[in-house]
Amino acid sequence: MQLTFINASPRGIKSNTGTLMEHFIRGFLETPGNVCDTEYLVKYRKNLPDLTEKFRRAQNVMIGFPLYIDAMPGSVKAFLEALAPLAGQEDLPALGFLIQCGFPETAQTRFAGRYCEKFSRRIGCRPLGLILKGGCEGLAVQPSFLTEKYFSLFAMLGQNFGETGSLDETLLAKLARPEHLKPEHLAQIIPFINQTLWDALLEKNGVLDQSFARPLMP
Amino acid sequence: MKILILNGNPEKDQGNVDSCIARLRERLQAAGHEAKIVVLRDLKIGYCTGCFNCWLKTPGICSIQDDAIDVTRQYIASDHVILASPLIMGFISSLLKRAMDRNICLVHPHLEEVDGEVHHKKRYDKYPLISFLLEKEPTTDEEDIAIATDIFRREAINVWSSLGFVHFTETPVEEIIHAINVH
Repeated sequence: MQLTFINASPRGIKSNTGTLMEHFIRGFLETPGNVCDTEYLVKYRKNLPDLTEKFRRAQNVMIGFPLYIDAMPGSVKAFLEALAPLAGQEDLPALGFLIQCGFPETAQTRFAGRYCEKFSRRIGCRPLGLILKGGCEGLAVQPSFLTEKYFSLFAMLGQNFGETGSLDETLLAKLARPEHLKPEHLAQIIPFINQTLWDALLEKNGVLDQSFARPLMP
Repeated sequence: MKILILNGNPEKDQGNVDSCIARLRERLQAAGHEAKIVVLRDLKIGYCTGCFNCWLKTPGICSIQDDAIDVTRQYIASDHVILASPLIMGFISSLLKRAMDRNICLVHPHLEEVDGEVHHKKRYDKYPLISFLLEKEPTTDEEDIAIATDIFRREAINVWSSLGFVHFTETPVEEIIHAINVH
């Protein structure tokens, strides 16, 4: 089976989207004969037709991106617009999406997910489904007991996809936990992230005391 | 009322977005509102790269030196921002989304609970109401409108706003003016 993974993160090669998909691809390649090509949207920003051509020739495509203000980033929308001329053509690839967000609840990605599912139908690609994952902010600094859990689920999902050609609903549901947070968890998680992630970075940059600056105040 | 209309139509001579918002501005000004149109396609606005410098290095301001900073400045100074765009493949133009992505400097990286969900803290005391004025595609159906409207409602929560209205270029201008006045 052939898969093209389009890493559409605005951060390019070093991205949370790429880190998650690396594990999916590792699992996917366990099936003998499977091949995966990875393309980075940032490399094609001035040449979207070349990426559109790679999309058209693929057997299966996964487009991965981070949630930007509840939807796809502007650069990802530009790519989706560039795919418009392919609508209705024969032999288009099967198309799936990975949407990850920094907020801890996966529920926040579901609105953009509905758009992506409709997009697959609109263009005429067989929908592969959606991999949705919240809690991806600061993936590089998250404790390994958490990340190892996600990474192994991504690898299992990729392995299963590599064998069957479809995304396993049970694994997707496990990966999506927590969908929402209970009040007691919100009360724990919010100060933890604010202090250990954001304040630590602000302090390192010497701007903790200016973090609430309002430079654009009317 | 201070009303900012962001024109996210990527093609000058295509569709009815430009003519619709020109009529709307005229009527709003005649009614005593301060109404301004910013044509995004004429500006230099780069993509947000997710660097977080606007949160962590130069709090509140983007480190990409282009026209987006001024658009954001006008946005936060407004009472009501109308985001105008043709629907392209079922959603607002990449041009408009690119400009909206650059507004994350208006919120703070810290998280807080809002109605049982995690969102970013406010940076400013007051944020404008946001509304959408869209042009339908030949393929636009009820499902497209529902998907886009739900996303707009979510976007409004994340920028400390609420969704005023979603109207279309085919909506009579009087109806749009009425929707602006009731908010």
